[in-house]
Amino acid sequence: MANNLTQFHLISGVLFITGILSTFPARADEVAPAAASVDGEVQVLKDEVLDLNRELFLLEEELLFPANTQVAVFVSMDVGDFFDLDSVQIRIDDKPVSNYLYTDREVAALLRGGVHRIYLGNLKTGEHELTAVFTGEGPHTRDYRRGATLKIEKGIGAKFVELRISDRESKQQPEFLVKEWE
Amino acid sequence: MSLAIANTSRTYAVTQATSRTTALAVVRLVACVTAFVLGLQMSVASAAGSGPADPMAAKAVRDLYYGEALFQFYQDKHFDALTHLLVARSTGRVQNHETESELLLGGLYLNYGQHVRAEEIFNRLLTADVSPSVRDRAWFYLGKVRYQRGLNEDALTAFARISGELPASLSAELPMLKAQSLMALERFDEAATLLDNWKGPDGWLPYARYNLGVAFIRLNRLSDGARQLDRVGRSSPRSEELLDLRDKANLALGYAYLQQSLDGQARPVLARVRLASPFANKALLGVGWADAAAHNYRAALTPWLELKQRDLVDSAVQESMLAVPYAYAQLNAHGSAAEGYQAALVSFDSEIGQLDKAIQSAENGDLTRALLVRDDPGIGRWYWELEQLPDSTAARYLYPLIANNRFQEGLRNVRDLDALDGHLQEWRDKLAAFDDVVATRRKAYGQREPVIRESLDKVNLPALQARRDAVAARLAEIEAQRDIAGLGTDEELDRSRRLTAIGNDPGLKAADAGDLNDRYRLLKGVQLWNLDRDYKYRLWAQKRALHELDGLLAEATRRQADTNAVRRDMPANLDTFSRRIADVVPRIEGMQQVIARVRGQQEGQLHAMAVETLHEQRERLAAYRVQAQFALATIYDRAATAARTASTVRHEPEDSTAAPTLQPRSVSGTDP
Repeated sequence: MANNLTQFHLISGVLFITGILSTFPARADEVAPAAASVDGEVQVLKDEVLDLNRELFLLEEELLFPANTQVAVFVSMDVGDFFDLDSVQIRIDDKPVSNYLYTDREVAALLRGGVHRIYLGNLKTGEHELTAVFTGEGPHTRDYRRGATLKIEKGIGAKFVELRISDRESKQQPEFLVKEWE
Repeated sequence: MSLAIANTSRTYAVTQATSRTTALAVVRLVACVTAFVLGLQMSVASAAGSGPADPMAAKAVRDLYYGEALFQFYQDKHFDALTHLLVARSTGRVQNHETESELLLGGLYLNYGQHVRAEEIFNRLLTADVSPSVRDRAWFYLGKVRYQRGLNEDALTAFARISGELPASLSAELPMLKAQSLMALERFDEAATLLDNWKGPDGWLPYARYNLGVAFIRLNRLSDGARQLDRVGRSSPRSEELLDLRDKANLALGYAYLQQSLDGQARPVLARVRLASPFANKALLGVGWADAAAHNYRAALTPWLELKQRDLVDSAVQESMLAVPYAYAQLNAHGSAAEGYQAALVSFDSEIGQLDKAIQSAENGDLTRALLVRDDPGIGRWYWELEQLPDSTAARYLYPLIANNRFQEGLRNVRDLDALDGHLQEWRDKLAAFDDVVATRRKAYGQREPVIRESLDKVNLPALQARRDAVAARLAEIEAQRDIAGLGTDEELDRSRRLTAIGNDPGLKAADAGDLNDRYRLLKGVQLWNLDRDYKYRLWAQKRALHELDGLLAEATRRQADTNAVRRDMPANLDTFSRRIADVVPRIEGMQQVIARVRGQQEGQLHAMAVETLHEQRERLAAYRVQAQFALATIYDRAATAARTASTVRHEPEDSTAAPTLQPRSVSGTDP
């Protein structure tokens, strides 16, 4: 029986010590050669797809939204203590062009400094009116809906418009700013 | 709740049904540790000084498209973030964030496994005129690239160049990376000193301590290993992954003690493993062996009997099928021992049958399909882990394999290749639509061009310009001569003509004209007065109108030129788009073919690993089966010997514990 105990201990030792002590790779490069070659091919493919993706993005933009007619609208947030963003509706020349409902993850990304391109479209040169309606929860957890309007002059270059939600500390209210970028 | 095993029968909270959950926990722990080893989990955003640890970032976005890349990045859409950033940089839209965007790009490449590209960027940053903080971050990331490429000496050199303070998240990661590099160079004592002297927040250091402890034990330096593992094993983490790691550290230390026959030290360490832990089965087995080693077989039975009721897929449970009858035999309960071995044989045979089916299924390649069936096919994430394990018979046997790092990496490759293929297919569909757009534009151009040409031909801009020039010359002449009548209205000019005609009438000078002459002079004076009074205003108004005309003529000229340019360039532009689309389609098709080939290779490797693992399990069960048969035969032999002795010495009382009367049970496929 003593032999049996030793044998069982041996099994435990071989099975578990080996298993436990080898589960976590001590080094990142501890992979089998065969796996490494496939992994290398995957990395090359990823790189090629990234390059191709960049080219295709440019092709898409140049074809569908050429610079002479392109208009892009962005949403950004600053602090956001007084406003919990729910959705943004964009109208250009009184026509709805975007109605975007934000997820919590997206709002968190905005609060960390991300900027969301909410609309990308085409406009003829000349004057246009852009209206943004922000919906969400304002101070004291009340439903909040606020609009902002901007006359934009579309020239021959691409037009970028930023809709910025920030906090106005003095009034303890959110503030909605519209800014044109060239 | 820990494994406080008492010598009384108790009901354990964990049931067999949880085995899939615990397997998934192991998979996640391994994924976590893999991420830790590769340094993936740390915030790349810090590369751009824009992680949560760097609050200034949220207010510092000065280029919308840089913020747009961050928006994707903060949602873990890393592929999109990388693509958008590459596009933004190539179109000059992030000029106000040149350095930050380059750091972010390097970090994104690094995490995407593109070490060469990442290293190029960090090296470029280090030769550029950048701020010390950017330089420090570049050294950090360069060190990380080198560490990931296995260039550990170079990694340590890069880390040593960091002179200032790093953002908090990088600062927490740095000692871990240094320790891992030192361990990879087998400079374990230096790694231990680094970890022991570390005063900051623990962060991911428990993983480094765990790895170091394991490394020491592999080198037979038990006390050094125990010091590291014990520190992890006594920690009080909050996250589930770190709790699992704590259990794993206790398990590793407990078995290291058992291996050195330090059974008394092993038991309390193993008892620290949580009962609901994925490592509870192995801990229960170890606790039993610690008790058995102290000849306390009754105590050993408590964890082993509990273990015996669990899912037989687990090797610890399989071993308990032998351990329980072994303990009974030690307690001279040979009847129970024989029953236990017989039950073990039945169970092992059943499991071997199941394994044969699982091997067949794995050979058919069902495994990866089953594993990825519920996967989100999105391309964005590269820190990826399985969300759910399949509940098939074959998959149950492969939980330990699925938790294996190599298998995870391979599975991730298959998953990434599927995502890349799906992404490329989306582009192919889009490109077909782009082709339609170009064709539609070409058709529209063909229809509109003659109409536009006709209407443009009617507009004679040079003639308009000549007329404008004539007007300007006339105005200049009027101004030079102060010709006040020149700016008169039609009515005033008509009146002037009539007054001139009256003045020339001989009747005006006749004797009987009376006051007609005075009235003529008055009217002429009023006319001149009015013309003179309005002259300056009219001159200014005419000049302004001429200026406006100049503007309109210039606009018309520009528009005509633009339209002519579009008319001229449109066919060539459409041809260029058609060519670009036509060129890219075969590239995509070629990539998809390569993806299919590499995916097949990778899947083949995974299936081979699965089949190998299943065969190993089958062989282990076969070995256990032989042990059970041998033990059973020994018991029968003893029983037969005891029976013979009893029949010889009829007058002596029967020893019930030493020699139970046993009838060999018929076991399927078993030789007694």
